[in-house]
Amino acid sequence: MSRAYEAVYIFDSTLEDAAINDKIAKHHALLGTTQEVKLDHWGRRQLAYKIGTRETGYYVVARFHAEPKVLPEFERALKLDDGVVRYLISVHEHELGAPPMSEEQLAARREAGDDEDDDED
Amino acid sequence: MRRPKKTCPITEAGIRFVDYKDERFLARFITDNGKILPSRLSGVDARHQRQLAKAIKKARYLALLPYTRAHQP
Repeated sequence: MSRAYEAVYIFDSTLEDAAINDKIAKHHALLGTTQEVKLDHWGRRQLAYKIGTRETGYYVVARFHAEPKVLPEFERALKLDDGVVRYLISVHEHELGAPPMSEEQLAARREAGDDEDDDED
Repeated sequence: MRRPKKTCPITEAGIRFVDYKDERFLARFITDNGKILPSRLSGVDARHQRQLAKAIKKARYLALLPYTRAHQP
């Protein structure tokens, strides 16, 4: 069963916009998703602290549905990519702005008496 | 002498889940040095404090918030 994920990438800000878009498309091809990946480009912004010698980064937020088993390969590709300064992938379910829960999920939650907040990772 | 009970600022703002990408909001809950503000000072309720702590730690990793003032450019 596929799950909803949210990923934030910080690209090297010296890369051209076209090169960044190429990299995003190349990496997302590994996910093998049929659904569209929602992208939110924050663009170049100041980092709160230096990462190596870098003081700025190009931020991109992506939301997608993928099978959990494809993630290790996807993360490996990101890790090996020198243009990606940092990335963070988190499960994007039951969170702010996440798609609402389906009826069965709600029923399952009620049954479990689960009033606690969800751990996301 | 009991102090009047503080109301949780996150509950009051109507926030259901604390978002790690909203660094302007998270910045209200860190000290000048970058530490996470204890809930006894901010009045945040326990559930939101747990979410807040995780969100701040994620935001720090993504260089949205500083780990400490010493490293700020």
